[in-house]
Amino acid sequence: MTEADNPHELGEAEFRATVHSFEFWFEAVEGYLHGRPYGVSPGLEEVDLTERQRDGLITTLCNYCVGETAALDASSGMIGFAPDRGAKIFLATQVVDEGRHLEVLLHRMKQLGVADPDAEIARRANRSLLKFKDRLLEFVDARDWEASVFAQNVILECLEFTVFRHHAGTADPVTAEMLRGIVSDERRHMGFGENDLGRRLLTAPHTHDRLYKIKRQLDSLVLDTFAETMGELGIEREERPDLAGDYLAAVARLGFRS
Amino acid sequence: MTDPLELPKAGRRPRQTFELEETGFNEVPKRFRRFYRRWRGPGDKLGPNEALCPVCKVVIRSTKELRAGDRVYCMPCMSRLELVEEDGMLIAKVIY
Repeated sequence: MTEADNPHELGEAEFRATVHSFEFWFEAVEGYLHGRPYGVSPGLEEVDLTERQRDGLITTLCNYCVGETAALDASSGMIGFAPDRGAKIFLATQVVDEGRHLEVLLHRMKQLGVADPDAEIARRANRSLLKFKDRLLEFVDARDWEASVFAQNVILECLEFTVFRHHAGTADPVTAEMLRGIVSDERRHMGFGENDLGRRLLTAPHTHDRLYKIKRQLDSLVLDTFAETMGELGIEREERPDLAGDYLAAVARLGFRS
Repeated sequence: MTDPLELPKAGRRPRQTFELEETGFNEVPKRFRRFYRRWRGPGDKLGPNEALCPVCKVVIRSTKELRAGDRVYCMPCMSRLELVEEDGMLIAKVIY
């Protein structure tokens, strides 16, 4: 092992340049996606789902598609006003990830027998999540970097990271493997957002109050989405994991009280 | 009792060193993979050279025993962390 292979020996600037690069992204995704078409190992067998399980899963996947489409539209738009080249390059890798997520989710819906995913998404989409998407895209249209990073890379990515991780633990094997691949991508998106915003808040503390107002507007939408998703997955109220806990911990690290 | 952090460097117990094996973690480029592993849930225990990333819940590993004040990187979520001691436990905190 050379010193260059020990990540903890890197200087801060070198570390950031490494992890925000396409080179890093290529070698990272190769580890968990190579040889897995649509994010799933060939030969992984389907299990029989009851009609209720299948229907609940389709509704959940429709909502995942809404979230991933929001992230795809937002991250691609954010490249145009990202503050530096490193952020632009990172966001370009995120756009690719989000496009892949949407593709594998639509593919899974087709495997479950959904003939017209767009119609199904329009029929089943969670209203709170749609409102969240509209608000996020307003921030992007306004070229508001802090609000866009906060809404997308902190709030939305944290929501997806948490829900997908828990869902992967209870899902059928095919859905679970597909979700694990998405979670591995979400780690980067979420970490980018928290760290970018954390650095910004240190140098521009006045941004904090503005983002706190945004958080208060979006909290109920996020928490409603968590609750509804758990219901779709058939998890009884008393058995539901504390999904909001991870989200609240992330915003607390940035100094936002709940 | 003397706080061990107040002892001169020569008086401190030398740090343990560790040979890192592959753990099956596959979310970073190959050359960095042995520095990370998946958290196996509530029954899992961290070694003296390990810290749990509070952002993405991946276990960060080092070739040397970790102590308060050390800085490590979580590559899977791109976070820079500092080890701090709280209630006798070593906790990783994000530094922005």
